[in-house]
Amino acid sequence: MTTLTVNGTEYPLDLADPRVTLLDALRDRLDLTGTKKGCDQGACGACTVLCDGRRILSCLTLAAQCDGREITTIEGLESHPMQDAFVRHDAFQCGYCTSGQIMSAVALLGENRAGTDADIREYMSGNLCRCGAYSNIVAAVREVARHA
Amino acid sequence: MTTIQQPRILGAGVDRVDGPLKVTGQARYPNDVNLPGMAYAAVVRSTIPSGRITRIDTTAAGKSPGVLEVITHENADHLGEAPATFIKNPQPPLQDDVIRYYGQYVAVVVADTQQNATAAAGLIEVDYDRHEAILDPHDPRAERIKDPWGEDTAWGDVRTALKRAPVMIDQTYTTSENTNNPLGLFTTLASWDGDTLTLHDSNQWPNMIQQVVAAMFGLPRDAVRVLTPFVGGGFGAGLRCWSHIPLAVMAARHVGRPVKLELTRPEMFTGLGHRTSSINWIRLGATRDGRLTAIEHESLTTLPLDGDEYEPCSSVSTWSYASPNVTARDQQVRLNIPWTNFMRAPGDAQGNFALESAIDELAWEVGLDPLEIRLLNYAEVDPKTGRPWSSNALRQCLEVGAQRFGWSNRNPEIGSMRDGHELVGYGVAGVSFFWYQQPCSATVIVRGDGSAYIRSAVTDIGTGTYTIMAQLAAGLLGLEVDQVEMQLGDSSMPVGTAAGGSGLTAALGSAVHDACGRLIKKFVELAGTDPFSPLADVPFGDVEVSEGRLFRKGEPTRGESLARILAVHGLTELSAESTSTPNSADQMGMTPAGARGARFVEVRVDEDLGRVRVARIVTVNDGGRILNEKLARSQILGGTVGGVGMALFEDTVTDKDTGRIANATFGDYLIPVNADIPDVHVEFVGEPDAFNPIGVKGVGEIGLVGVAAAIANGIFHATGKRMRSLPITMDAVMD
Repeated sequence: MTTLTVNGTEYPLDLADPRVTLLDALRDRLDLTGTKKGCDQGACGACTVLCDGRRILSCLTLAAQCDGREITTIEGLESHPMQDAFVRHDAFQCGYCTSGQIMSAVALLGENRAGTDADIREYMSGNLCRCGAYSNIVAAVREVARHA
Repeated sequence: MTTIQQPRILGAGVDRVDGPLKVTGQARYPNDVNLPGMAYAAVVRSTIPSGRITRIDTTAAGKSPGVLEVITHENADHLGEAPATFIKNPQPPLQDDVIRYYGQYVAVVVADTQQNATAAAGLIEVDYDRHEAILDPHDPRAERIKDPWGEDTAWGDVRTALKRAPVMIDQTYTTSENTNNPLGLFTTLASWDGDTLTLHDSNQWPNMIQQVVAAMFGLPRDAVRVLTPFVGGGFGAGLRCWSHIPLAVMAARHVGRPVKLELTRPEMFTGLGHRTSSINWIRLGATRDGRLTAIEHESLTTLPLDGDEYEPCSSVSTWSYASPNVTARDQQVRLNIPWTNFMRAPGDAQGNFALESAIDELAWEVGLDPLEIRLLNYAEVDPKTGRPWSSNALRQCLEVGAQRFGWSNRNPEIGSMRDGHELVGYGVAGVSFFWYQQPCSATVIVRGDGSAYIRSAVTDIGTGTYTIMAQLAAGLLGLEVDQVEMQLGDSSMPVGTAAGGSGLTAALGSAVHDACGRLIKKFVELAGTDPFSPLADVPFGDVEVSEGRLFRKGEPTRGESLARILAVHGLTELSAESTSTPNSADQMGMTPAGARGARFVEVRVDEDLGRVRVARIVTVNDGGRILNEKLARSQILGGTVGGVGMALFEDTVTDKDTGRIANATFGDYLIPVNADIPDVHVEFVGEPDAFNPIGVKGVGEIGLVGVAAAIANGIFHATGKRMRSLPITMDAVMD
């Protein structure tokens, strides 16, 4: 038995199948579908979650590796100002990459990498947005970073 | 037909109404739906581009843990023919042993978990009798289709005009294959209940999926329900009923459980179509002062063996500039490739790159400013028919854009604007986008509490349909935006059209506009039957609506609320339905003009490395009336990013020996990331378009068009090197 701690709740999980990624465990076993699968290859960032406060790609992380760690998903954010800023700046269109973008952006604040627009662009570049909302994502992150 | 007052809220940049769901992870996309007892499917794809299956061994897969079923062409259900819906749909999968392209589905495995299904799929052995494949558009054996849509166009005498032209540009421009790659993995979750079927499915047109699946499985249409409240992007990929959909339906029937089939990213490259490559031959004839005397534009694009595609690249040359002599012809060539399909601005994206590059070449040839030559040859009226445009603010796009960009600061000399080791170039392109509209139905309902909702079986693929239709109806019914809910994404609603061709807002908006008018009329008539109503004797034409109340024009106190009228008559709600159809150009005496636009870009070219960086972009567009400035701006921003991708990165590479797509991952198929996109200034100009009652043109695609040409033209200004092939890579710049 593995224990996944997600958003402060402990979920005992039978991981007889060691191939289960953290992403699939969240989506298929815990029905926490806010975290998205865009490539399953670590290239798009849609599955970004926080692990002990650091952003990780849940598709490249096995669920079994997360025993005893604190996972935070989009469902675990409690009205974070980043969410509100994303809405007001229209920092998404289809919304599919949004959970990952927001988790990345929230982590970015803690990494002290949101000081300039160039930094925001660079350190948000692991999160693809095919709808092309990048300028609005920068605007949302910039605003929250300034008021942080 | 209605005299309801001018809407108050239209145009306001209100926040996306589905925003809160999307930033909290609560919006449920098709692959987010989990049903009790659900099984998972994984597909197996062909590893040759042409031939026949001689043996397919599923023994090991069938014995693999958790496997419930393996389906190949040997045990697949015989399905009915897929009907064409505006355009062809792939015929049902697994019906024979013939392989037509690399990546074609040859088997589907169903298991209790995704991990077990995927593992078992890898155990299936397939032997093939491989036939020689045709993969090169220039292969003489390939079937060529001339004038595929009967739209080849000619007026004047291009041959003579070119012969006599003092100046001629004669060049070939090519664009590569691009793959739509919406971020959401396309998923079908099929669930049977007796003889009825429910699909949670990623698409842009639920009624199309419903129609095709019903035909394939021999069901009445209303036995199939397609649900798509959210979809993780489409860009055209969701406009056909792709083969994974019937596969999931067949699999669910075989195992008697709901089956989820979620494509992987590599499968998204072969299973949902892609933008065709194109070759464009352009000849321009002009006077020495740069006035066009002839345009000849021919294109060649690609087709799969058994599909069709509407990709008229040359058509932009029939409406973009005034020229007395024009010929536009398109050809297609059939290859052993996965389906070509619509991708944001099909045909226009490629054709515009060619035409706007050629116009730029002509400007340099005759020594004119690239902006000036576009204004000099401006199409004041439809050059083909001489009819007036329904609206056309291209001139304003160019002039306003030039001002915002600071075009006048441009030093015309090549390579003259240097900044350190970077060569700076300014590029411009004009855009004249096609017009498109299809019939669409909607019902508008006012509830007993005075709030309203709209129903139509359309999708909001991120374009903002949920929001702008609520705004539109709120304005027409005199309600606040948050009092109106747009319900969509369910095939059982009034028949909706596709979210495609930048045509949904005009189609759906016209239906909503008309339905709101009919609904107000119903309310007025209802009030007229109540002798105590303050509106009892007021004719429909004299009624205004505001703040949820109907009242006599100029007498706000003489009226009553929609809620009260319903209550007096013991009704819980009142509704009106309408179906919009596009107006006729003949009857209107005008040519419907799609959106218009101008692109101004500053590129920076690293002199030593050939690296191209886009430093800033100004994009000015005429989209007719803009229903929501914030969301329309986002459409243009998104299109711009797509345009940068097309210009500098995107290239679906097919291995010329095997027909395999060699870069079918996000690690290898490059799309722009955040750091690739500079400051983008977006502005709208123009006026409400005259061709539909709500005055919109649709802005979903135009943002992409012209970006590639402007970048290429900027690179020429910076380096003196003419980029005639997309994407523009470092090696081409250094060559």
